[in-house]
Amino acid sequence: MRRQLAARLAQSLIVVIIVTTISFFVIRSAPGDPFSYESSTITPAIRQHWREQFGYDKPLPTQFVRYVVSVAHGELGYSFQMHEPVSEALATAVPRTLLLTGISLALSFVIGVIIGVLQATHSGGWFDRLSSAVLLFFYSLPDFWGALMILLMFAYWWPVLPAGNIVDPVLHGYMGGWDAFVDRARHLVLPVLSFTLLTMAGITRYQRAAMLETLPMDFIRTARAKGLSERRIIWRHALRNALTPMVALLGLMLPALLGGALFVEKVFAWPGMGLLAAGAIAARDYDLVTATVIVGSVMVVIGNLLADLLHLAIDPRVRE
Amino acid sequence: MRTSLLLLASVAVLGGCTSKDSGSAAGTGATGGTVIMPTPGDAVEVFPPFVNDQIGRWVQDMVFERLADLKTGLVTVGDKGFAPRLATKWTWAPDSLSIAFSLDPRARWHDGKPVTANDVRYSFKVFSDPKVGSPTAPNITNIDSISVRDSLTPVAWFKKRTPEQFYDLAYQLMIMPEHVYGSIPADQLHTSPATRKLIGSGPFKLVAWEPGTRIEFIADTANYRGRPSLDRVIMTPTDAATGATQILAGQADFMVAFPVDQVPKLESSPVARSMVDPQLGYTFMAMNPHLAKSMTAPNPVFADIRVRRALSMAVDRVAMLHNVFGNTGLLAHGPFPMTAGYADSTLRVPPFDTTAAKALLDSAGWRAGSNGMRAKDGRPLRFSLMLPSTSLFRRRYGVLLQEQFRKIGAQVDLDVVDSPTTIRREQEHDWEAVLQTPGTDPSITGSKQFWGSGAIGANGQNFIPYSNHKVDVLLDSAASAFDPAKAKDAASRAFQTIIDDVPAIWLYDVTFSYGVNRRITIPAPTLDGWWMNLQSWSIPADKRIPRDRIGLAAAKP
Repeated sequence: MRRQLAARLAQSLIVVIIVTTISFFVIRSAPGDPFSYESSTITPAIRQHWREQFGYDKPLPTQFVRYVVSVAHGELGYSFQMHEPVSEALATAVPRTLLLTGISLALSFVIGVIIGVLQATHSGGWFDRLSSAVLLFFYSLPDFWGALMILLMFAYWWPVLPAGNIVDPVLHGYMGGWDAFVDRARHLVLPVLSFTLLTMAGITRYQRAAMLETLPMDFIRTARAKGLSERRIIWRHALRNALTPMVALLGLMLPALLGGALFVEKVFAWPGMGLLAAGAIAARDYDLVTATVIVGSVMVVIGNLLADLLHLAIDPRVRE
Repeated sequence: MRTSLLLLASVAVLGGCTSKDSGSAAGTGATGGTVIMPTPGDAVEVFPPFVNDQIGRWVQDMVFERLADLKTGLVTVGDKGFAPRLATKWTWAPDSLSIAFSLDPRARWHDGKPVTANDVRYSFKVFSDPKVGSPTAPNITNIDSISVRDSLTPVAWFKKRTPEQFYDLAYQLMIMPEHVYGSIPADQLHTSPATRKLIGSGPFKLVAWEPGTRIEFIADTANYRGRPSLDRVIMTPTDAATGATQILAGQADFMVAFPVDQVPKLESSPVARSMVDPQLGYTFMAMNPHLAKSMTAPNPVFADIRVRRALSMAVDRVAMLHNVFGNTGLLAHGPFPMTAGYADSTLRVPPFDTTAAKALLDSAGWRAGSNGMRAKDGRPLRFSLMLPSTSLFRRRYGVLLQEQFRKIGAQVDLDVVDSPTTIRREQEHDWEAVLQTPGTDPSITGSKQFWGSGAIGANGQNFIPYSNHKVDVLLDSAASAFDPAKAKDAASRAFQTIIDDVPAIWLYDVTFSYGVNRRITIPAPTLDGWWMNLQSWSIPADKRIPRDRIGLAAAKP
């Protein structure tokens, strides 16, 4: 088991290195550089001066060697967009996104699994049809538009919640502990609601299908023959079996914790990893782009490892 | 409810305990108030020698000062168009090759230290240092040096006498404290953390810059020119639709570039209103006379002035303006913004006349085929139009232009690219037509840097490249005339020549539609920018809301 895990980690490290290398060269192959922003006051000579000052005029292999040496020393470079070392920019953005997407993903899975189970156990009934239609509606919404509608609904037409930002830009710094907590929670509601609604539908469909596959199985019939209550059969025996594909899905969705929230972050002015990465690509902020790719690929690795471990935990056949 | 009451109580207590201005703290005095501004992005740079973006310029002008300010007419010739700022007065040498400035002895940096002549000398040193690479450096090449006569008298020495030598110094140079930044090596200024923590002498202090999140200013209550009426200004980078929602919901107060299609909502809003403000910028469709990636080979479409003129006449500029901007747009009149002091609205641009346009194309040998599209010697009348994806207005104009050109038989392929790609391709001459919006400075020299032959290449902005000896001579005459009327006359003749050469189609002047909360009182905006009189904005005491009553206390980290 340990050998398997070690081999998996070694493979993962190679994947991270390859992805980082590719992203390093791809972003530098795109037109422009960190000093190519639109401004009618910067002459080409001044842009060239800045390129030389920061080594962007050097051949790509030279830049790559410099970057590798720098990363080996624990330095991810300097972000021209954020005006601070890349590590500091990430240290600010990552927790913000994890807070938003972590809560959303947890809610999506909990609610999605419950609804999926209920749909499967009442397959063909009014609840199944109604909830499927509602979830299909949310699933069909273009992400950006859906988030924007939620924003308009609760911040403009019925203005009960703040329209964007992670906290009140003025008052938060003057609030006491409880008020500050409430303020942060209020600012979380709309982005979390958007992210949850838009991701929950897929999870529900997966769970419903898995349950429908599990319910006719022999061990369920045996459990019924033994006289177990229907609730116990469904929520303890059938669900445990039907959670296996959901664990794989969780492994796939975990990387989205950092990158998949871009549209929510954009609409709700939530300055997290999605916005950071999108801004870095647009601004050709080379070091920041490469660092976000490193973080993203590490998340993929962690997601897959976590899925494997969870799989082990819930499925005795794998342990054997 | 409990939360709100607690919040109000804590805000009142905090304000009452810490503010130096009791009226502000109580929310009943002449001063007080917080303005939240959703901005289209973050500042690219805020340290004056590097500032060249719009938001960076707002920050710079709120925190730092010049020796003298341009008055509302934006006359840059001589010194009559300037009002004292850091300098209370100035004295010209008899040969006009030096100017001695008398600094205001009351002027203080935000850390309390006095502003001195050494700071002026240091600022010039930084702006002109090749190791720094300031975008302003090419504009101050006529300044030879700055010496210090005494602690309050810097003397600027010029290489030659020019009409705009005062402007070059007084307007281009932001004065920075030597004791704060002087110890940082020139080649490290770009990445030094110290250059993000600005210490200036302007009406507002920068208290926080969290890139991508917020820029916060508070009033400098000890400012020698009097404190601003507002207590606090906060800029938050926000998506346009979200920012508009915040304005309409009263959660934000002032938004530059409020989405045009949302402006009617402002008219009926009880919370916010609209304001229109012309800027120092204009948009045109440039036509490359050379083949892409070439500086010599002629472009088969645009090398012929008859084709350029025909394309210009095919465009209904007024209809496009109304389509994109509604009633808030301003038509461009040539290679200048109408807000500039040398602007001339009487110049003749090619009229909208599709019949004449078609005739011109016929005479140039571009004949319409059975499908209505034109060709010459087997080559279709077709070109690509490069548009930056970041500009909504230019994207809309691109679609409208495509349709208008189609009507006279020309096919346009829209080439939407991001901003760095636009810049790179302009530098490499890898384009056929492009929609460009140069932000210009108020001087005629600014026009030379875009339309003069000397601005072609690495040290200028003339990317088209446009070259006409007559225009060079006239712009030189305009820039060297000491009589503003003569300067304007020469500039007008230069601009008419450029218009007649049709290197571009003049589309619109840049205007901002602001969304403004109704509780804010804003004096008439000045031509050089809404932010230049931010210190005069106010919020009457009876209209203040909880966020206006915080006072000047620092927030908890």
